Amino acid sequence: MNLKSERRGIHVDQSELLCKKGCGYYGNPAWQGFCSKCWREEYHKARQKQIQEDWELAERLQREEEEAYASSQSTQGAQSLTFSKFEEKKTNEKTRKVTTVKKFFTASSRAGAKKALAGKLKEIQEAKAPSPSIHRQASIETDRVSKEFIEFIRTYQKPGQDIYKQCKLFLDTMSHKRELSIEEQSECAQDFYQNVADRLQTRWKVPPEKVEKAMDEVEKYIMTRQYKYVFCPETTDDEKKDLAVQKRIRALHWVTPQMLCVPVSEEIPEVSDMVVKAITDIIEMDSKRVPRDKLACITKCSKHIFNAIKITKNEPASADDFLPTLIYIVLKGNPPRLQSNIQYITRFCNPSRLMTGEDGYYFTNLCCAVAFIEKLDAQSLNLSQEDFDRFMTGQTSPKKQESDSFSPDVCLGVKQMCKSLDLLSQLNERQERIVSEAKKLEKDLIDWTDGITKEVEDIVEKYPLEIKAKSQALAAIDSENVENDKLPPPLQPQVYAG
Amino acid sequence: WAQQGTVTPEGPRPSHTYKVVLLGSMSVGKSSLAYRYVKNDFRELLPTVGCSFFTQILELDEATVKFEIWDTAGQEKYQSVCHLYYRDAHAALLVYDIANKQTFSRAKLWLEELEKKFLPDEIVIALVGNKTDLAAEREVTTEGEDFARTKGLLFMETSAKSNHQVNDVFMAVGELWHGSSPFIVTEMLLPASPACTTP
Repeated sequence: MNLKSERRGIHVDQSELLCKKGCGYYGNPAWQGFCSKCWREEYHKARQKQIQEDWELAERLQREEEEAYASSQSTQGAQSLTFSKFEEKKTNEKTRKVTTVKKFFTASSRAGAKKALAGKLKEIQEAKAPSPSIHRQASIETDRVSKEFIEFIRTYQKPGQDIYKQCKLFLDTMSHKRELSIEEQSECAQDFYQNVADRLQTRWKVPPEKVEKAMDEVEKYIMTRQYKYVFCPETTDDEKKDLAVQKRIRALHWVTPQMLCVPVSEEIPEVSDMVVKAITDIIEMDSKRVPRDKLACITKCSKHIFNAIKITKNEPASADDFLPTLIYIVLKGNPPRLQSNIQYITRFCNPSRLMTGEDGYYFTNLCCAVAFIEKLDAQSLNLSQEDFDRFMTGQTSPKKQESDSFSPDVCLGVKQMCKSLDLLSQLNERQERIVSEAKKLEKDLIDWTDGITKEVEDIVEKYPLEIKAKSQALAAIDSENVENDKLPPPLQPQVYAG
Repeated sequence: WAQQGTVTPEGPRPSHTYKVVLLGSMSVGKSSLAYRYVKNDFRELLPTVGCSFFTQILELDEATVKFEIWDTAGQEKYQSVCHLYYRDAHAALLVYDIANKQTFSRAKLWLEELEKKFLPDEIVIALVGNKTDLAAEREVTTEGEDFARTKGLLFMETSAKSNHQVNDVFMAVGELWHGSSPFIVTEMLLPASPACTTP
């Protein structure tokens, strides 16, 4: 009885264990009751469906965009002709590139050939994809940003859809404008920002804070996609300028905080911590793709600088303190591709962020710092021209003159060594002093003995020892005992009879 | 930037953002002036870390004005790069120390720089003689006012220390922009309730 009920408790019908599809295998609740094989099939089907739907949506949007574009452009006919030409040219270029790459690799090695083959396969796959204009760079970050953007834009409902369309249209237009100069592309981007903001404000009556937020997201979305085409493009001399600035900063490695009148004392551990953080932030700027993220790095760096000044001076920093410190941080950090980053931000950041606001202020300061470094001369460091030239050519280093202030880029070991050397020389000096003191002491001792001897001699000379005659009688007592014999003989004991 | 309709259906008053640049030699009290101005109205919100970028909202009769105050480095060696600061500025305060004649001559130099970059009606320029609390050591007397008059600048003597006419300077700048100038550069809509955003 007991046994039976227990059995009933855990009893599961055999059919429930089987795959829901009825293939005869056992199912698994983790696979929603399917067996592994059927689950894979089902899952795959569902995914395919999802993908299909996504494509359809994308294509519909694309069509709508194109229609909107067609209606907005009166000279559509001529334009599309040029666009198709562009497209053709682009594909031609692409195939040419692939073949050259292949040739190059087959000539070199087997592994290379394999790589080229894989590359080509990828190209083919890409070409096979239904819509090449959407299927562009499939990097993980781009995908993530797109997904976030779509999610964000959904919260804006109808205006959101409109923005999305605008963005797609813009990206498409830009993909045909790669041949234009970077200034023209920058203008397109700026116009686009302005148009979208206006549209949101006047057409959709979106409140200003929400417009601002949406504009940030729009910037993030389009610039993540545009980055690789418009950051440090080959058509400009940005790269040359980058190298020039880098070289310049390297040549100025000897500049000390004192020369720049930096109100920051790195002796304080907290301050040196802040300095390191500020340098990290400014270097990190290069790794960001969105102009606004780059700006955020500059702002973060600036905040750390303000902290460093505040800890050192114990009062809030003013611009008089801030700019020199920022210059010092830039010199110390030598951030990569500084000019490219500044140019990129100037060209493609949403202008309302750049011209006003705190981020804009710090960005302007950074521009000032770089401009100053480029122009920096002897006078601006309070040095004589000869000294400046000697430091620049590396003949001497200011560190030797003021051993207390080490250049910040000297490693810890060298610093320790310098300190030890310093201590050793001090020790040496002290030892020498001890030896000389000891010698002096010895000499003093000798002099003292001599002095005493001399003094004694002097005294002896002055007061010679005179033996006086008076004492002769006394002396005779022992020596001449002549009269003793004359004394009566000692008494003899006598015996009396009685 | 495109000029927009000034009235919205929701009803907040039109508001404008003005960028004000502080120019002047080192330690004439540029930061203190801005600090005093911002602090006076909003005692609880003080900039804790930096003292070089401020925002302040000013309610005028017709509109809300948001000031963005940019402090600049006053050392002479940075003068060559300073033009970057006053790009797109709506107003510039040329600050000098009334107890130091040299700072007054430098303010004049700054005016020359500004005149090179801006057309007369593009920017409001105010000459500010700071530190009136040091009246006993005064070196610049009527020259300031005379100079301002010949150049057509706003003129005011202030003391950031004893809070003399600090508000008035900014108020005058805001009113001048709002009242007469046809050249309004940035317009933004802000919530009706005043809020101060300090760094």
